[in-house]
Amino acid sequence: MTRHFPSRREFVDAALRAALAVSVAGPVLSACTGERRPPAPGLEPELNIYNWFDYIGPETLAGFEEEYGVRVNYDTYESNEEMLGKLIAGATGYDLIVPTGYQLTVLRDRGMITRLDRSKLNNWDNLMPQFQGTPPDPGGEYAVPYQWGITGIGYRADLLPSAPDSWGAFLDGFAQGRATMLDDMREVIGCMLRYRGHSLNSIDPAELDRAKVDAIAAKTRLLAFMTQAVRGQLASGDVIMAQCANGDARQAQRENPNVAFALPREGSTIYVDYMALLSNAPHPAAATAFLNYILRPDIGAAISEETGFGTPNRAAQERMRDPIPYPTADELTRLEYERDLGPATALWDRIWTEVKASA
Amino acid sequence: MTARRAPFAVSLTAVLTYAFMHLPLLVLIAFSFNRSRFGVQWGGFTLDWYARLASRPDILRALRLSLVVGLLSTLLATALGTLAALALARHLPRARRAAGALLYLPIVTPEIIAGVSLLVLFSWLGIALGITTIVIAHTAFSIPFVTVVLLARLQGSDRSLEEAAMSLGADEFATFRRVTLPQLMPGVLAGALLAFTLSFDDFVITFFVAGVGSTTLPLAVYSMVRKSVEPTINALSALLVIGTTVAVYLADRLARGSARA
Amino acid sequence: MMNPRRGILRWIARHPRSPGVLLLGPAGLWLAAFFLLPILILLAYSVMPRGAHGGVTPGFTLEHYRRFFDPLYLGILRRTVWLSLLCTIACLLLAYPTAYFIARSGRRRNLLLFLAVLPFWTSSLVRTYAMIFLLRDSGLINRLLLDAGLIEAPLRLLYTEGAVLVGLVYGALPFMILPIYASIEKLDPALLEAAEGLGARSWARFTQVMWPLTLPGVAAGCLLVFVPSLGSFVVPDLLGGARQMMIGNLIQNQFGSARNWPFGSAAAFAVMALVMIAMLGVIRLNGLDDTGAEHGTGPGRGA
Repeated sequence: MTRHFPSRREFVDAALRAALAVSVAGPVLSACTGERRPPAPGLEPELNIYNWFDYIGPETLAGFEEEYGVRVNYDTYESNEEMLGKLIAGATGYDLIVPTGYQLTVLRDRGMITRLDRSKLNNWDNLMPQFQGTPPDPGGEYAVPYQWGITGIGYRADLLPSAPDSWGAFLDGFAQGRATMLDDMREVIGCMLRYRGHSLNSIDPAELDRAKVDAIAAKTRLLAFMTQAVRGQLASGDVIMAQCANGDARQAQRENPNVAFALPREGSTIYVDYMALLSNAPHPAAATAFLNYILRPDIGAAISEETGFGTPNRAAQERMRDPIPYPTADELTRLEYERDLGPATALWDRIWTEVKASA
Repeated sequence: MTARRAPFAVSLTAVLTYAFMHLPLLVLIAFSFNRSRFGVQWGGFTLDWYARLASRPDILRALRLSLVVGLLSTLLATALGTLAALALARHLPRARRAAGALLYLPIVTPEIIAGVSLLVLFSWLGIALGITTIVIAHTAFSIPFVTVVLLARLQGSDRSLEEAAMSLGADEFATFRRVTLPQLMPGVLAGALLAFTLSFDDFVITFFVAGVGSTTLPLAVYSMVRKSVEPTINALSALLVIGTTVAVYLADRLARGSARA
Repeated sequence: MMNPRRGILRWIARHPRSPGVLLLGPAGLWLAAFFLLPILILLAYSVMPRGAHGGVTPGFTLEHYRRFFDPLYLGILRRTVWLSLLCTIACLLLAYPTAYFIARSGRRRNLLLFLAVLPFWTSSLVRTYAMIFLLRDSGLINRLLLDAGLIEAPLRLLYTEGAVLVGLVYGALPFMILPIYASIEKLDPALLEAAEGLGARSWARFTQVMWPLTLPGVAAGCLLVFVPSLGSFVVPDLLGGARQMMIGNLIQNQFGSARNWPFGSAAAFAVMALVMIAMLGVIRLNGLDDTGAEHGTGPGRGA
């Protein structure tokens, strides 16, 4: 029996060479795929961005790489909490992140984000006045507003008897079991609070208890809790009524023009997503350049066109064919920013668990 | 060994079970070639979706990372697991029982607990989440599998060649290098292939310990699945399944081939 | 036998068990550091107070366990255990005949074993996605039933507890088939023939001879299915529409959006306690068997 089994040394040798080849081939290949200029003066050669999935224009990154000679690494996450959790757990190496409003408070308190150098952001005044200082960041000091959105009801105008105009639509079986709500504690409990006329930042146990009862009742008529998949499901008609963001409804509309969006009369959430610079960012100069870059009207417009969400950039809005209009003054009275709940998070979490665990 | 065939009801259940285990994946693969994007109407044969995969830099990056992590953790797990199996089979027979239960524990522990506890460990030690942490985690859960596979190999293995070598004057090290290891190599390779498969396909544990720029292929699939149902995911899944099948087939061949050696 | 001129070998000769310890050492250390130690730290976290933003601060408290022993969370655990039990029973009902079939299949045995093992190695995510693809309202099953005229509107298959159960069973079947097969294979056919010769009918042969003798394999299989199902969170999320919280979802939640690591650790430990109990139960039933022969992967069984 003279089969030649590779000796241990040969095996290890071959394996090491393979591993080396793979890890070298990677950067070599990717370096070869782009002729890149050396980075612009004062900028680091790389930039690491951590953002929502699909929350950027198709050419935004490539355009920046071209102009500034900086290589951009783009990582994505599914939820704010996931991002916050990872950062608190000690994930390092990111430069820019995209937190939603109330998380800025948390990040700032922990010293995880750093003040902007406004002198380097000469495109700052492209922002609409109301976005140059917002409740989560009154002085416009810590982050650049990226996109704004509101939560409402996305629905199929062709498959529902009439347009839903109240959160009560989720309580009375309006959508015959083909409705979904966001898999998000703040949004679900929040909208039930608004339904009863309370603030969606309430920490009052009685109000929260009522919201819990309503949410459990709504859940019995829900198909599922769904966040990301809502766009596809509305377009395909598997879902005919969904609690979702206006940007999601817009994207669904592109696939199926029958998708419409309504803001319930009891009001809802308005939120701003910001791009913020982490305190331990390894490439702060490149990051600041990127922040200035997205404030340009053409770039801002491209981002909004792609995501379907609202742009806080006045100059960008003027360039867009069909921008999402900023809410009217009347609508604004019904829209609330989410605030960090602080210690009351535990109470909310328990209520959310009860909703999820109910039959 | 057997004379009588199984009763009809038993055979039927078995056939249905096999169908249940394999049809969904076959269907998945079949529809990765479907031209129409929505629904399950057959719109014609196309390789478009595979082409799309190749043009997505994030997928390619995830693939590269999965390969690197797989290779590194396989090397470590195979080396450590082989040595452990040798120890248990040849040198510490009484410990084997206790070790058996201990070895079983990582295999049996729910992945979420392993993942979460590693997250806590790395956080406590201040180790940044990234490629290193993924490799460490993958090695840890692969070692028991490699050890178990090799223990099975070693159970009935023939020591006469080794004894012959030693009686001819070779010391323990030389015997190991020239006789034991080559004999064991198919089993080692089988264990290595299985370890690689485990690492390449892992989702839950990787989910908790991945960090900057370290999206592996299963994590990328997870992002895509959360968003929508579309043929690109079918194509990616098909590639994963085919790759896994090939690896396991090779492992199977290697392990059984050595038994006849 | 050994060349006494080598110093190391002399040392080894004096300590007969040391080669074993040396060989086992690295793997043992690795697992101790990256499996046992993390679990101990998890235990420590579960008795420390929650920090401002979700981590821990120094101190000792049993409040997380107190909080866990509340009908809400125990109810989640109970529902999870129930679902895992259902999954285990379903797997048993499907796997036992399959294992028997393989054992009786003669020449095709290796092929059948390979096919039974294969799904185990596929990514759990891909398997779950396959279920989504089949079960959704616009998925293949509904499409076939609609086209065949058997139904008029799509059946609600996805986002139900049934879908979660199917998903769990789908992922767990190989774990049940292999140990049972190993037990059946070790059975001496002469025993069954003797029983038949003594007049026992086939059902009696099964209950009186086969089943008791294959119990160790059954127990191992049940363990390997029950425990991982307990920790499942992707299947309830993707196939259950995030409607039901299983204990795995709760744990993931605490380490994610609820930002309460100590509480999550306490919940994780409750699950771990269940795992230990289950394991001890099976070990008592089986004795500490050779894991080598018991839990093979199929490929190792050629000779």
